[in-house]
Amino acid sequence: MSCGTEKKKAVDLHQGVLQKNLSPERYLKIQLELEEAVTLTEVELRFFIISGLRSLHGEVGAALNFDLLEHSDVSNVAVLKVSKDDLVKLWSSLTLQGFYKNHRCAFRVLQVSSSPPDS
Amino acid sequence: MVRVKSRYLLCEVNVTDRNLLLLLDDRAVTAAVKDVVRRMHGDYGAALCSFGFSVKYLNAVTGIILLRFPKKCYKQLWSALPFITSIEARGKQISCFLNCIYVGGTIRTCQKFLIRYNAHQLRRMLPKCKSEEEKHNIQQAILDCCLTRTHTEEAEDTLESEEDE
Repeated sequence: MSCGTEKKKAVDLHQGVLQKNLSPERYLKIQLELEEAVTLTEVELRFFIISGLRSLHGEVGAALNFDLLEHSDVSNVAVLKVSKDDLVKLWSSLTLQGFYKNHRCAFRVLQVSSSPPDS
Repeated sequence: MVRVKSRYLLCEVNVTDRNLLLLLDDRAVTAAVKDVVRRMHGDYGAALCSFGFSVKYLNAVTGIILLRFPKKCYKQLWSALPFITSIEARGKQISCFLNCIYVGGTIRTCQKFLIRYNAHQLRRMLPKCKSEEEKHNIQQAILDCCLTRTHTEEAEDTLESEEDE
């Protein structure tokens, strides 16, 4: 029925999944939006995130363990894996990053989950 | 009405050269602590430190300082204190390290502890005396501590005179 398929499309856009959050890791899928079309390599992106952590949370923040799992050069989308306790520090420092080498930038958080994202 | 609670950290400043210790003042200690908290905990730490932190008591002769922190964040700011390697006071760098000897909820409990601690230090100093006069001074100071606990000023004055070893 056409009515049923339309409803299914609406549900697919915003999916709410309830998980028990038993694992101690969190996966953060982020996208770096820049004013001009600049792409970052993995190393540059990692350095940028660490410098943001250092400015907001100091040496303790810069020493946080996080993994850059997947990275796409074209669209600047990356997946970070971080421990549950460090998620707040990492997310807050990503939020407050405004400039990358004099270009205005913003981190958009696309997905947060306790298991690796599928895509 | 709910009371504003804070934590008072009683710290001892250890230096190699005791003469440099006399240069300490509270502005130098404040600046050193804020600087190290900023380095360790970033902008967030600097903000935590800006409002509730202050140096309440400083004794340059014995090297005891009393720092006040808000109760909510005192552990984070305490964790930054071991990273202090030097304090800049009056143009000179005093290389030192901070040793926390007591954490209290009020200044009064810290003061009670400090009195007992100073009396204990006097007793420790007695066997290390080099001259009869010093020995006599320390014995007098210890007697004063024991007999009249309220006369703490006398005990601290004699302690100060002992520091000229």
